[in-house]
Amino acid sequence: MNSATHFTWDFGVFFRDLPFLLKGLVVTIEVSLLSMVAGTVLGLVVALMRLAPARPLRWVAAFYVDFLRATPLLIQLVWVFFALPILLGYSLPPVPAAVLTLGAYSGAYLAEIFRSGILSVAVGQRHAALALGMTGAQALRRIILPQAIVRMLPPIASTFITLVKDSSLVSLISVSELMWAAQSLSAISLRPAEILTGTGLIYVAVTYPLSLVAELVRRRLLTV
Amino acid sequence: MAYQWDWSALFDNLPTLLSAIGTTVLAAVFSMIGSLILGLPVALVRLSRPQVSWAAYLYIELFRNLPLLVLVFWVFTVLPLITGLALNPFTCGVLALTLNLAAFVAEIYRAGITSIGSGQTHAALALGMTRPQLYRRIILPQAIVRVVPALGNLWVGLFKDTSILSVIGVGELMYEGRMVATDTYRPLEVFTGVAVIYYILAYPQALGVNWMFERFRVRE
Repeated sequence: MNSATHFTWDFGVFFRDLPFLLKGLVVTIEVSLLSMVAGTVLGLVVALMRLAPARPLRWVAAFYVDFLRATPLLIQLVWVFFALPILLGYSLPPVPAAVLTLGAYSGAYLAEIFRSGILSVAVGQRHAALALGMTGAQALRRIILPQAIVRMLPPIASTFITLVKDSSLVSLISVSELMWAAQSLSAISLRPAEILTGTGLIYVAVTYPLSLVAELVRRRLLTV
Repeated sequence: MAYQWDWSALFDNLPTLLSAIGTTVLAAVFSMIGSLILGLPVALVRLSRPQVSWAAYLYIELFRNLPLLVLVFWVFTVLPLITGLALNPFTCGVLALTLNLAAFVAEIYRAGITSIGSGQTHAALALGMTRPQLYRRIILPQAIVRVVPALGNLWVGLFKDTSILSVIGVGELMYEGRMVATDTYRPLEVFTGVAVIYYILAYPQALGVNWMFERFRVRE
């Protein structure tokens, strides 16, 4: 223990470099949104595969979901950035690698959300729709999805919040998002305490309102 | 030109990787125990009078919404600056994981306690039970069944999150994997192997948690 430590906070550096951090925040939001779109598309495909009549499709989809959910995001990220290029024969730039990984990872969680949402609509409704002469696709689009989506919204919102937080990991493959900006500034400015504390607060300033909205949606839907 | 696979890079270093699993497990176990303990006062404060419960609310929302990576770096670089304490990377990592997880644990405890109908509390008190008796005999036995599967879910997440400690140099599985990949110039084989090791370790745990959810399903 060092008794001579009298740390005094000086947020001057933090506020001076705030524009640089906010530029990083923009990249964080871009990467999160792109990954969410990729994850949603992928998740929907995987969910439909898991519900498909063909057994091999179900197995492939189930293995995908289990593997991506049972391994750390960090190993997936490192694999896509450092190992996948060897298979492909060309290197992936950081941002596409980040979106690919975050999209694949969140897609596994979203697939389960979509699947349980679709299964939560009573099977009798599907039978009724088919009996009325609708095709399978029509029944899905007109009867099942409109009801399922309402139930899926709260977990989808939580997945997005998790995604924003997890996107900080892509700083490790040098995507110039908020955490990367903070790390660079910490090294240059010699005031890592203020930079990192401030950066943490910026993250919370984004994720906390999102979690309030998610909670509001959840309560709204519960009362309906 | 086809890639020449060489799995010896992985298999020759398997003892290093397997022994790193010990550190991964230790970090997860210590953090879990820490957060199970720390989560309890946070949950109890959260359930108490509004004059004090805001402090627990602040704790929970702050640590739930902060990315773990930021917290890990914060504990590793900032905490020593402001306290003068020099902690080793492993302790920093466990501390960060504990602070993060305790927020989620507290919410699970709270949900478990509040899920027991207040009618039961009134009935127990009317029967002449004391408050400790009420908690021991009525509330906790029912709350535990609801809480354990949710805690199991947290454990599986925690097990994976320990990989983040590699960034501050904790010699767990992810860290050793990166070392071996760099030393052998065989990232494809090594990282694929590390991912498979994580899968073999974590997937049975996830199945166990699913089983607990089925087993302890509460029928209202």
